[in-house]
Amino acid sequence: MRAECLKSISKYSWIGYTAVRSELAYSAANVSRIIFMATVLYVFMRLWSVVYEGAGVERLGGLTETQMLWYLVATESIIMSMPRLWHEVDQDVRTGALAVHLIRPLSYAAAQFGRSTGERVVRFAINLMMGSVVAILFVGPIPFSVAGLSMFALVLPMAFVIDFFGAMLVGLCAFWLESTQGVALIYSRLMMLLGGLMVPLEVYPDSVQPILRALPFAAILNAPGRMLVAPSSALFVHCLEVQTMCLVVYGFAVFALHRYALKRVFVNGG
Amino acid sequence: MIRSLADYLHLAAAYVRFNLRAHLEYRGAFFSQVVSMFINDGAWVAFWILFFRRFPVLHGWTVTDVISLWAVVTAGFGLAFGIMGNAFQLASSIAQGEIDVWLLQPRAVLPHMLLGRSAPSAWGDALFGFVVYLGFVRPDWPHAFVFVFMSLIVGVVFIGFAVLCGSLSFFVGHAGALADQWRNALISFSTYPPTLFQGAVKVLLYTAIPAGFVSYLPVEALRSMSAVDVLLCVGGALLVLTTGVTAFYWGLRRYESGNLVSLNG
Repeated sequence: MRAECLKSISKYSWIGYTAVRSELAYSAANVSRIIFMATVLYVFMRLWSVVYEGAGVERLGGLTETQMLWYLVATESIIMSMPRLWHEVDQDVRTGALAVHLIRPLSYAAAQFGRSTGERVVRFAINLMMGSVVAILFVGPIPFSVAGLSMFALVLPMAFVIDFFGAMLVGLCAFWLESTQGVALIYSRLMMLLGGLMVPLEVYPDSVQPILRALPFAAILNAPGRMLVAPSSALFVHCLEVQTMCLVVYGFAVFALHRYALKRVFVNGG
Repeated sequence: MIRSLADYLHLAAAYVRFNLRAHLEYRGAFFSQVVSMFINDGAWVAFWILFFRRFPVLHGWTVTDVISLWAVVTAGFGLAFGIMGNAFQLASSIAQGEIDVWLLQPRAVLPHMLLGRSAPSAWGDALFGFVVYLGFVRPDWPHAFVFVFMSLIVGVVFIGFAVLCGSLSFFVGHAGALADQWRNALISFSTYPPTLFQGAVKVLLYTAIPAGFVSYLPVEALRSMSAVDVLLCVGGALLVLTTGVTAFYWGLRRYESGNLVSLNG
């Protein structure tokens, strides 16, 4: 049983490793991503610089201007490292490639997880490096603590897994919808608006903050971002609670939908 | 000249009808893309409304100005790529040698090729632009007229710029990713208030990334109702379009067929 479990882990790790190598092979795509990341960060840097200047305060939502840009580095790195998993699943369902996957001795969802995680790790590392360079150039460094970085390192993988589940749910909608592009677009905008991509949740009105914090979007973006720039044990504990809850609910939803969807697969020989 | 222009307008109208009918064959997918793009743009405007509630003025720009900016950019973008959606695929079509089919037709290659496809989600952008401007800004007749005119001008800039980016494939091989990034930079810069940028970046925004002609000047024209700003927009749009068209036909001399058997339909 244990040997079989280890064999499975090794199988999906290899899929992840292959995805890492494949991602590193496409340098043009990586360069264009770096340029886009730098452009977006520059625009936000200008936006927040004008806001801090206009508001005449040192801190907004508990963050200084320097911390704010580093927060954006973290959240943008997370969002821009997201592979188009929903599109892959959508295409597999629509073209029938899913049937070929199903005859392999692999779980379809687990194989997708290995592949998308491999891609995401490379993209995230590149984005974070580039973002850090931009932040150091424009606003300078911020002090990091070992405790803060450890908390960030703990919540980040959980955020990636929750996001994977979200993208998988969107992709599986292809069994019922003519196109999942619209659902994916709305999902990403909800993430942007409710997750604290460009504005930390602490800047939102006090009345909506508790609701936003309880949503999975905040557990994917806001929590890791805050943990990097202004860590606190209270936030860390709250974040772990929300992330655990999201993992259970999303995980069950993916498991159930995946099972139910596979019953709708018809293979017509040939 | 006028007859030729009218002829091409008829062709454009025929292609719009044809492309819409093609999309309506899969109406679920079409309407979901239109609605989701509408919601997507709405999310951005909601973000700005929230932002301005917290920080009311941004270097002289108010929430109405930012809504006007979003309205004119989305309406122009939507009209451009709803009607000439093939501009998105230009770089990859050139790189893969797929434009033979358009070279054989008894029409000018570029406009005919651009009209060949429509981006379904772009109709959501166009709808959003007009609905938001009419609903939130509540313009009088002169403003409404200038808005419609500016949307068309912005559409011309988007098309000219997309042609310029796509034509890079004639010179540097597969420029798909580069063209995408360049176009994305234009969209990124044009959806933020211009007062954020100064110095060399501002120069860049009227040259290499012509966001100035896509959003800043049109919004200024709507704010001031000044003929000078309108003329500057028209001049900028014609300049971008001419540059794109020149790059395309110059590059076309270097085009090599992919010897692909393809049908347009």
